[in-house]
Amino acid sequence: MRKFTIYLALLLSLVMIAAACVSEAEETTTTTAAEPTETTQAETTTTTTAEDEPPEAAEPVKIGSIHPLTGGLAGAGNRMDNGAKMAVEEINAAGGITSLGGAPLELVSADSTGAAEVGQSEAERLIGDGVSAIIGTYQSAVTTNVAAISERDGVPLVIDVAVADSILDQGYANVFRIQPNATSMGANGAKFLNELAGDEIKTVAYLHDETGFGVSVADAFEAAAAEYGIEVLARIPYPPFEVTDLTTEMSQAAATSPDVIVITGYYNDGLLAARAATDLEVDVKAVVGVAQGAFHTPQFVADFGTDAELFYNSNYHFNASDPKVKAVLDKFESTYGEPMDTEAMLSYQAIYVIADALERAGSADPAEVRAALADTNITDHFMAYPGPITFDETGENVNAQPVLMQVVDGAVQQVYPLDLRETDPVFPGTPWGGS
Amino acid sequence: MRGRPRNAIWAALAIVAGLLLTQSTWWDTNQTVFAQAVVSGLLIGGVYSLVAMGLSLVFGVLDIINFAHGALMTIAIYVSYLLFLNQGVDPYLSLFITIPLMFILGVGIQRFAINPVMDAPIHNQLLLTLGIAIIIENLALVFFTGTPRSIELSYARNEFDLGPITLDFPVKVFGAVVTLPKLIAFIMALLLAALLYLLIKRTQLGAAIRAAAQEPEGAELVGIDVRRIYTITFGIGAACVGAAGALVIPFLFVSPTAGATFNIIAFIVVVLGGMGSIPGALVGGLVIGLTQEMTQLFVSGSSKLLGVFVVFLAVLLFRPEGLFGRVQR
Repeated sequence: MRKFTIYLALLLSLVMIAAACVSEAEETTTTTAAEPTETTQAETTTTTTAEDEPPEAAEPVKIGSIHPLTGGLAGAGNRMDNGAKMAVEEINAAGGITSLGGAPLELVSADSTGAAEVGQSEAERLIGDGVSAIIGTYQSAVTTNVAAISERDGVPLVIDVAVADSILDQGYANVFRIQPNATSMGANGAKFLNELAGDEIKTVAYLHDETGFGVSVADAFEAAAAEYGIEVLARIPYPPFEVTDLTTEMSQAAATSPDVIVITGYYNDGLLAARAATDLEVDVKAVVGVAQGAFHTPQFVADFGTDAELFYNSNYHFNASDPKVKAVLDKFESTYGEPMDTEAMLSYQAIYVIADALERAGSADPAEVRAALADTNITDHFMAYPGPITFDETGENVNAQPVLMQVVDGAVQQVYPLDLRETDPVFPGTPWGGS
Repeated sequence: MRGRPRNAIWAALAIVAGLLLTQSTWWDTNQTVFAQAVVSGLLIGGVYSLVAMGLSLVFGVLDIINFAHGALMTIAIYVSYLLFLNQGVDPYLSLFITIPLMFILGVGIQRFAINPVMDAPIHNQLLLTLGIAIIIENLALVFFTGTPRSIELSYARNEFDLGPITLDFPVKVFGAVVTLPKLIAFIMALLLAALLYLLIKRTQLGAAIRAAAQEPEGAELVGIDVRRIYTITFGIGAACVGAAGALVIPFLFVSPTAGATFNIIAFIVVVLGGMGSIPGALVGGLVIGLTQEMTQLFVSGSSKLLGVFVVFLAVLLFRPEGLFGRVQR
């Protein structure tokens, strides 16, 4: 018994130390962040005019890729790394970076293991390795730390996936984000609900991941929903990586008799939530994900079969109606043996954003790449955005916005906004025909 | 032995008190949600019990804390999943494969990895089992990728004619939903607990296991091959998660970390129930399952594991030997 207690105490204290390290790192990084900003900005203004020196025999340009390749999020992490790999191979096959004498790209993959402190040390390693830019990292907590390192060392970070607003609230000059932030996710989720049904949706019960991701999206949703006269009756947080059952949570949500149940979270917990809603046959007009990691994925439809039908999700999405995107999806699936999800597409897109900057900068120097990234204006991108990928002064993609999707006839289809619509939404709509 | 009936009364009283307390304030307004929390708590608690039983047995007999327990469950989950996917074997039929397979694997791990460190300092043993867990999880990652998968039973929502009564799954109990896969997992967990208890209490092998646990040297003197008992016991512990792995598939997900989800809970159940006690693991699992769902119900805005950790701390403070444990000599 005593031995057991010692073990557990040891284990728990290890966990606590790790947690302390993370929060400490986050704190320190935010304070050190402000200072190097000015220098990099000053530098870049002088270097943008740098002449094209003829590069000797096209040395490869290194790009770092930090994602959770092991641990609970390894599924998405590896797909994202594969998305980046595919883009690199395509660019190299097409002759590399022309303005650098056909220099090929070289992807340096790193494993964050899903832990902020690991992501941070991997970012330091990659920068020491001489990368020109970094992409990553799928999680807001990890991205927060990586962004601080990238800012400190003046190596641009292009965020493929990470939602928290706070990452770019620090005034970083070297950090750019392709996906919509939490405010956009939550606010657009509320907007889509309002457009979808107008007066028919007055109340909502909200199930969300209890970490920063779920809380920030839910906060943004609640604030925006209030403007449309939609009331959030209950907010039910849950631990996304520890849950093995969400039936009680779902019945709590249903007990408030909402018009719609809204869910924010990752894949596994989303599956449990969908299963609970199906088992309980919750009496609502619709079950809607907002930045939910499961309901818009082909895998959800494959896993859940006909039960997946009519689930909604407002999330970032590749432009499914674009034939160019369809070709990318097919190529990914035939190369890596599993369907490409939007996360992988964002990593794929991030590499193209960096390649575009390298092309315009005519240099692999991180500072010059950063300057070129700031002037990004990519119209032929792969995402379902209303305009080109272009960054504002904080580094947010001006045109990033989520799309409302619904599983209709066994496929995830875009229903809002109207210009991206693939099919008409079914509302009210649940597979078990509630309300 | 002397303290056991009193412990059982304590446990029963705690549950009844909890039920009464919560009933008085909530019953009228939120009957369905409450019923759902109790039902969900008991059903998932059964699985916790089954997982914890193996862990408890291994600790009680070998004095080894097996951090690879959850990872072993992951193996069983993948075996069952692959059998379903490739051969169309029903997850419940695959129990007949996963249980013996995990027993053999457990025997192998004990003989070739654990046995050499049986007399080593505790941190060596800790690192070894932790290392085994990391190896298993990463092998799963290499072979099956991290993509979570799941299966749906075609008959999970069927009607079952059981002579006098017809059960139309999912069944409603006081408004709470009971799904077939969870009910089967619960019943099987109770059944396996009973079998394990009989094995330990009523068979010659069980007597030898108990002897090896209580007094290894004495057991050796009367002719028991203690090393062999250790090996068999570790095999039985692994067989428990072999069963649990196949039973959870229809309502959980399949991923390299699926088994590890149960690790922390299983440790807490073992502490709560008492080291090496099968009935302790059973009751402990149900109590923790209920605690978790009750926390979800009554402590809004916090993780449902909060209540579980409070119970864990309370046990460590007030009853460190656990509900059914022997007092430390």
